[in-house]
Amino acid sequence: MPRMLQFNIFRYNPQDEDSKPHMQTFYLEETPNLNLFIALNKIREEQDPSLQFDFCCRAAICGACAMVINGKPSLACKTKTKDLPDQINLLPLPGFKLVGDLSVDTGSWFRSMNERVKAWVHQDKEFDPTAEEERMDNSLAEKIYELDRCIECGCCIAACATAQMRSDFLGAVALNRVARFILDPRDKRTEKEYFEIIGTDQGIFGCMGLLACEDVCPKNIPLQDQLGYLRRKMGLGAVKNYLFWRKEK
Amino acid sequence: MNSASKVMVGRVGKGSAYLDLSQALSGILLSLFMLGHTLFVFGIVFGAKFFDQVAGFLESTNLAQIGGPIVGLIFLVHFILAARKIPFTTKEQKIVWRQALMLKHSDTWLWLVQVITGMLLLLLGSIHVWVILNDLPITALKSKELVQSGLWLYFNLLFLFSVALHLGIGLYRVGAKWGFVTRSNRFQVKKVIWGLIGGLILLDLISLFRFYFL
Ligand code: SF4
Ligand code: SF4
Ligand code: FES
Repeated sequence: MPRMLQFNIFRYNPQDEDSKPHMQTFYLEETPNLNLFIALNKIREEQDPSLQFDFCCRAAICGACAMVINGKPSLACKTKTKDLPDQINLLPLPGFKLVGDLSVDTGSWFRSMNERVKAWVHQDKEFDPTAEEERMDNSLAEKIYELDRCIECGCCIAACATAQMRSDFLGAVALNRVARFILDPRDKRTEKEYFEIIGTDQGIFGCMGLLACEDVCPKNIPLQDQLGYLRRKMGLGAVKNYLFWRKEK
Repeated sequence: MNSASKVMVGRVGKGSAYLDLSQALSGILLSLFMLGHTLFVFGIVFGAKFFDQVAGFLESTNLAQIGGPIVGLIFLVHFILAARKIPFTTKEQKIVWRQALMLKHSDTWLWLVQVITGMLLLLLGSIHVWVILNDLPITALKSKELVQSGLWLYFNLLFLFSVALHLGIGLYRVGAKWGFVTRSNRFQVKKVIWGLIGGLILLDLISLFRFYFL
């Protein structure tokens, strides 16, 4: 006997003045290998065409389908119903602008985050299009790639109590991104320049070490270790360079 | 993240770094003090005489008179530093509650336990320090009265649970924040921390029990 699944889904359309936030219940019979991506599409096709949610790659690559699934921010396309109980509660990611129902605008947030941490390789040389690309040690390239796997889904921000409480907190995703550029030898920024981006209460010193980010990241990025590394580097760097940075002013 | 990107353009001071570092260091110092304190009080198990001797030693060397206020000062500084991260406004508190309830995440709850025990400790700790330091020398007899009379037993019970929890969780979180507790050792460290909390509670309970029946 296949299970009958009960979906409690958050409904609210900010465009519609009459709409009020509420939970709506749908029932769907479980089929083999059902995941939330298929389930939500079925519900939309067969039961309620007005249901809003985002999907794109359906392969845990684009990060569009993140939502809160039974209390845990995660990717809907990567979540199989067989790993969930009969009752499935779906909420939109908190901390982002709600588009409607389960759909949120993570794009604007991530764009402004990337601008804020200046998430690009800062070079001091003029770019020469004819030159051969500089070589990089394979193990280093892999280390950078490990951090570069972030798909900007926003789960770590939705899970972080600090980010929810303080909207100007950079969050684990941004701090991880900075750690990625610190590793990259092509990026010529100095420790002091990095400090100016993240050495604040909106950056690494605002993080309370709750490790929710670490526990929810669907790509399993080693966020905890990056946060610890950055705090040590920035905290001890501030002490070590006390005189040095003062002089530079 | 709204308009904060503009704020970043200016110079960034190192204030946050120093404050955060001081918060961690003061917490570690207080933890060490508390471990010593637990052992000192545990001395009662070896009898009132032994306890009085140790207390007498701490006072004749002025460790109690000078150390006490210093610890009290660190205690206050630690509270002020940590308070920067405590959700004080009702809006923040609402968000934190909603978040903790929505997210079934043990470390977020641990942090809430720490916030609450932290507040309790400010109150209970101040009372405790005030009562003890205003009535030096410390003797087993006086301590016994402080355990047996009135509501003091409950005060001490609440106090010792708060201290143990706050200290254990605090050390775990300092380790996590500063990268000593890593992905690979996190769950082992957690076990050790629960052992530490349990051990502290046990030692303190034994001491309390001993005083109660002294
Ligand atoms: S460790 Fe906690 S406070 Fe820090 S970024 Fe992660 S979830 Fe947020
Ligand atoms: S760090 Fe992980 S949880 Fe955060 S946005 Fe990137 S992939 Fe998502
Ligand atoms: S649809 Fe792209 S990550 Fe789920």
